[in-house]
Amino acid sequence: MLKVLRQASLGVVSALALTTATLANPYEEYAGETLIVNFPAHPHFDAVMKILPEFTKETGIEVEVDQLPYLKMRERQTLELAQDEGEYDLIAYVVFSKADYVYADQLENLARYFMNPKLADPAYDADDLIDGYVYNIGFAGGNKGYLEGKTGSLFGIPYGSETSVLGYRKDIFDKHGLKVPETYEELLEIACKIPELEPGMGGLSSRAASGHHASHAFLLHLAPLGGRIFDDQWNPIVNNEAGVQAANALKTIVDCGPEGAASFGFGEALGSFLNGDTAMFLDTTVVAGQINDPAKSQVVGKVGWAMHPMGVRRGSQTGGFGIGIPKNAEHKEAAFLLMQWLTSKHGDKLVAMQGGNPSRFSTHADPDVNEKFPHMGTFGEALKHADPDWRPIIPVWGKINADLGTTLSKVLTEDLDVQEALDGVAERTKAVMDEAGYYTWQ
Amino acid sequence: MRAQTLNRATPYMFMAPAAIIMAIALLYPLGYMIYGSFRDWNPSQSIGESEFVGLKNYITLFFDPAFRESLSVTLTFAFVVVAAEMVLGVGLALLLDRNIRGMSVLRTLFILPMMIAPVVVGLMWRYMYHPTVGTFNTMLKSWGFDGIDWLGQNALLSVIIADVWQWTPFIFILALAALQSLPRSALEAARIDGATAWQQIIHIKLPLMMPVLIVTGLLRLIDAFKVLEVILVMTEGGPGLSTEIVALRISRTATEFRELGVAAAMSNYLLMLLLLLTVAMFAITRLQEARAQRAARQIQED
Repeated sequence: MLKVLRQASLGVVSALALTTATLANPYEEYAGETLIVNFPAHPHFDAVMKILPEFTKETGIEVEVDQLPYLKMRERQTLELAQDEGEYDLIAYVVFSKADYVYADQLENLARYFMNPKLADPAYDADDLIDGYVYNIGFAGGNKGYLEGKTGSLFGIPYGSETSVLGYRKDIFDKHGLKVPETYEELLEIACKIPELEPGMGGLSSRAASGHHASHAFLLHLAPLGGRIFDDQWNPIVNNEAGVQAANALKTIVDCGPEGAASFGFGEALGSFLNGDTAMFLDTTVVAGQINDPAKSQVVGKVGWAMHPMGVRRGSQTGGFGIGIPKNAEHKEAAFLLMQWLTSKHGDKLVAMQGGNPSRFSTHADPDVNEKFPHMGTFGEALKHADPDWRPIIPVWGKINADLGTTLSKVLTEDLDVQEALDGVAERTKAVMDEAGYYTWQ
Repeated sequence: MRAQTLNRATPYMFMAPAAIIMAIALLYPLGYMIYGSFRDWNPSQSIGESEFVGLKNYITLFFDPAFRESLSVTLTFAFVVVAAEMVLGVGLALLLDRNIRGMSVLRTLFILPMMIAPVVVGLMWRYMYHPTVGTFNTMLKSWGFDGIDWLGQNALLSVIIADVWQWTPFIFILALAALQSLPRSALEAARIDGATAWQQIIHIKLPLMMPVLIVTGLLRLIDAFKVLEVILVMTEGGPGLSTEIVALRISRTATEFRELGVAAAMSNYLLMLLLLLTVAMFAITRLQEARAQRAARQIQED
């Protein structure tokens, strides 16, 4: 009897010990630390702001956020990251900053954090993160230097990532019995038919303003139409047949678009769709929230979503943000814990429910999320076709991007010949690449 | 002997704090920029880590068609806006140089555009030029005309109009001040001799105002070369490179292309251009002073 009692009490004690072990708080050591993070002023990160108090409640780690306009963020980060001791513990960076930061050795390699049993959550399930984004935003050193590959490793985790989808006015399409375009031919045909069917209305609103906007709009069409900026030897092929087709597609879209479309930036393009001035919108998924917001949109409930139309292949945009830990951060481990928490299944669902862009397949399939945001299913499907090589993420891209964007703007407004324009871009790009040393081995 | 040396040093000692501050605040950044312009320098590096490339940045720029285009846009923009502003500003001053009731209120109203922050001016004009909901096109359409593609086909003109709107008042107040300080005796003499109002303007008012007008024009010209915000907000340099003034190109080169060395070299080209203008301004002022003195001497001798 006594023996039984002793055994039982031993059992209780060990069970208790086990419970305390499972309930052990991995955050305990870091409770009370204050992290300073740099996030953009962006719909996804506005949603993040709403879930940060939950993180502090669960972990005891405080978070202070420095929110900046996303194009300004890069300038500020470049300055901060070059210091010996940086102000930021965690930064959200734009996709194309990855190349600069990693190349300048300013971001932490995440391997040592995921290897650390005290920090890495075994339930994290990294395979559930959307592949294209992880490679596009987080990876460096793989194929071509910026893609997935055996030599690559992880420097950041996608967070607030976007892809392109086609938004269309269900009411207009129903009224005229139009079929939602699935291919580029159909897309361009409908884009130009709409101004005839609905006088005063543009077909598709696209960004087209000189510089980054025009270049971005062109890239949206380049990948699905089978084009690329470079071949595998870094030779510019932007002026091949697919490139010309993509530029012509952009020109057709702008010509059949709303009035003044050639000078539209992203804001104007979205604005004209929200105002009901165009029947379609082909750009990032991040706009869904605004389209359903009656304060900003006159087309609430009238918009349907479809996949980015297909050319010779599927290839929707990969863009948006990733989060990474600067080399000069003060609280790196706590920053990793925040990063892991935000991108965990739990955190991803929380941010999705607040209107953010989830980065996991499971969140896109989650019934609660889908009930609140019915478009999430289509977006999840679109993400499977997000093309990580959608644009080259190399340090000289900024310069090439600007040249491409200003030259395309001339095509759109000054009737410069498409082939001639792209030949010029290819020639100048070649010179830039040569100077940057990309042909050293040829 | 010692006291004498000390005496001689005193003024320099008094000047020293100002001279040191000036050296730190003005010459240091300027020297940094000149130093940087000889280097292949990206913003992720400290200047020490960057590579010395000699005059390469200057030579590349010299043959860079995009830089040349933006230089020609800048020159066109600067000379057109200054010419238009001079004509309008001086014209307005000539019209309003009289005792009208409520003149001071009117004058304040006229100089309001100058006091608005450039970013706000840019935004305001951008929305007024908006192709569908903008003030201008709505107005044109209500009168039965076709809308104009302001910031697309006519971007440079649109930007020029906005700048003229903002800065004509500057010329206006300076021209008005010059007009009001003209010697009344000369004007009275002309009136007695039977000069018409037009003759008075051409032969008396304008020549007498000329020194002030030249300096004002040059000041505006220097300013126009450096304009950035209004254009940045209105067109971001587009379409194509049609409104990309040098200041905007410098900013893009530094932030978008991440070539700080090239941006510094570009700033130096702009600086040299402005320096030339400033020297010209001083030379003209000098020349005029000398001429005035000579005239005064002549009058005395007569």
